[in-house]
Amino acid sequence: MEELKGIAGSDGYGYGKAVIISNELPVYEDKKITDIEGEKNRLKEAFDEFLKKTEAMVEKMKDSVGEDNTAILEGHIMMMQDPYMQEEIMNRIDTGICAESAVKEACDTFIQMFSQTEDELIKQRATDVADIQLRLLKLLTGTPDINISEVPKGTVIVAEDLTPSMTAGIVKENVSGIVTEVGGRTSHSAILSRALEIPAVLSIKDITKKVKNGMTIAVDGSSGVAVIDADEETVKKYDEKRNDYIKEKEALKKYTGKKTVTGDGHTVELYGNIGKPEDAKKVLECDGEGIGLFRTEFLFMDSDSLPDEEKQFQAYKAVAEAMGGREVIIRTLDIGGDKDIPYMNLEREDNPFLGYRAVRYCLGHEDIYYVQLRAILRASAYGKIKIMVPLVTCVDEIRQVKKLVEKIKQELDSISIKYDNSIETGVMIETPSASEIADILAREADFFSIGTNDLTQYTMAVDRGNGNVAYLYSVYQPSVIRSLKRIITAANDAGIKVGMCGEAAADILLTPLLISFGLNEYSVSPVSILRTRKNISCWTKAETDKVAEQVLKMDTAEEIEKYLKEQVK
Amino acid sequence: MVSKNVTVRNKEGLHMRPAGLVTKEMTKFHSTVHFIYGDKKINAKSVMNLIAGGIKCGSEITIECDGDDEQEALNRAADMIENELQE
Repeated sequence: MEELKGIAGSDGYGYGKAVIISNELPVYEDKKITDIEGEKNRLKEAFDEFLKKTEAMVEKMKDSVGEDNTAILEGHIMMMQDPYMQEEIMNRIDTGICAESAVKEACDTFIQMFSQTEDELIKQRATDVADIQLRLLKLLTGTPDINISEVPKGTVIVAEDLTPSMTAGIVKENVSGIVTEVGGRTSHSAILSRALEIPAVLSIKDITKKVKNGMTIAVDGSSGVAVIDADEETVKKYDEKRNDYIKEKEALKKYTGKKTVTGDGHTVELYGNIGKPEDAKKVLECDGEGIGLFRTEFLFMDSDSLPDEEKQFQAYKAVAEAMGGREVIIRTLDIGGDKDIPYMNLEREDNPFLGYRAVRYCLGHEDIYYVQLRAILRASAYGKIKIMVPLVTCVDEIRQVKKLVEKIKQELDSISIKYDNSIETGVMIETPSASEIADILAREADFFSIGTNDLTQYTMAVDRGNGNVAYLYSVYQPSVIRSLKRIITAANDAGIKVGMCGEAAADILLTPLLISFGLNEYSVSPVSILRTRKNISCWTKAETDKVAEQVLKMDTAEEIEKYLKEQVK
Repeated sequence: MVSKNVTVRNKEGLHMRPAGLVTKEMTKFHSTVHFIYGDKKINAKSVMNLIAGGIKCGSEITIECDGDDEQEALNRAADMIENELQE
């Protein structure tokens, strides 16, 4: 038994017997042809057969996954119908080579041509030509198509990559999971797996070599793990996970497309947290109403040098546009502490969490901060963006940021670059100091967002990573709960919005407290969105006030946690 | 031969679907239809050629038509690119 980590391509759990699907081209004899016309006819028949089969697949897919997902296969039809493509292959037969070799050579030329470009969209087309090539060669050599549609119930498909034509044949009821060697969350295999609701783990190196046909494989598509040669105990565990997942998914379905309201009809906002522009899609898929935390560190970490304004602008704009007018709260650079970026030459510190990080670093390097803020302002013309400043401890920091924002606005005005003039600048409340002076900060900030991880760590003066003191790290500590109440109350009193973007926002135990205190916006990881909407809907304000009253009288974290567990609905 | 400059405005440029629509229309004409894009001369009757051309949104191209129905072909191509393909 071996546990292998890959990319989470499609949520859910499954297990079953491996069926390895090979993408290898069929073997054929590279023979010389004398009957040119006969060979051309053979090729023409293969073209026609290809088109007929692909059209049938498109029809079948329209029923299984919907019309939105048939575009790629329809593209294959267009390519195959292209007279230029047909001629490219056909003309090679005049040189005396057989139809198989002609297909191989011509398609290889196209594959090479497409994959050599810089353009991502053109590069993807190389995959399509490879799929066409494979299927034409199978038709010509009479190699039976591995018929995915005929795999038995309880199959886990293992492949280097799933080609569009393969996914077309999948019978959802028979395939318990998909594991591939290549592909990311936005690859064709991932999109199709999600449309079919089959758990999938992608990008596991050498998986087709490690697995044998018939081997038992357990797939965790939610966290991107596959267990090969799984034992009985693992299968049992996955079976339970699978049942729980399906049950919960069913129960949560009725919350899709609904507003987030408490039991007595009070509306709050439910957003998602993201760390990369492409995750915006996931938030929308999971029915998020906006983005409450867009971490920007990825731009700096996935790079060998400082990302320039244009690169940042494109990333922020992409998210703003993807969200189509829904709010996107961008957190400005939060480095230092445990997040190091080699090329920025951050100094080693004895106490990095108490050191030169986040807004402190940014205000000390105004040139770097200026580029980021300018990129955000420019992107604000394309949606509803808000700026969030991390690790604020005193009011002067937010004043300085706002001054810088104003300066950039004037510059943009002077060169007629558009931006959202009413863009809000808010404070992330995650230090005891910010909590204590929440009333002062509320006069300067347009909104608050509570970061519970750091707030707990700093309030309890505990290093989460240190096993000797980790027991103190609990959001149920009376000091942390009181801090949350103070922050939310200060925002409510000042009439500004207050959200929460830490793990605690999705914590079912805390939901009644957050409702009672008056939290306006919950920002959670996309997969937790529907569950959080359901949790919020279970409570009326009056009920939560009673819970909060009891909790605020309690002495210890253990007592509070135990009581809250008993209250869960 | 007749020609005209147009700007490609649909978001994804002339990729798979729009390319397919263009070639489908252009093959209806007898004339040759080429798009000049930078130093590339792209056969607009071939979807593979169009995809490989990678014409991006916002770029200016020259449409060149040559043959007995060249004016009709030119008008149709220009109309598609400037009006119909915008999503």
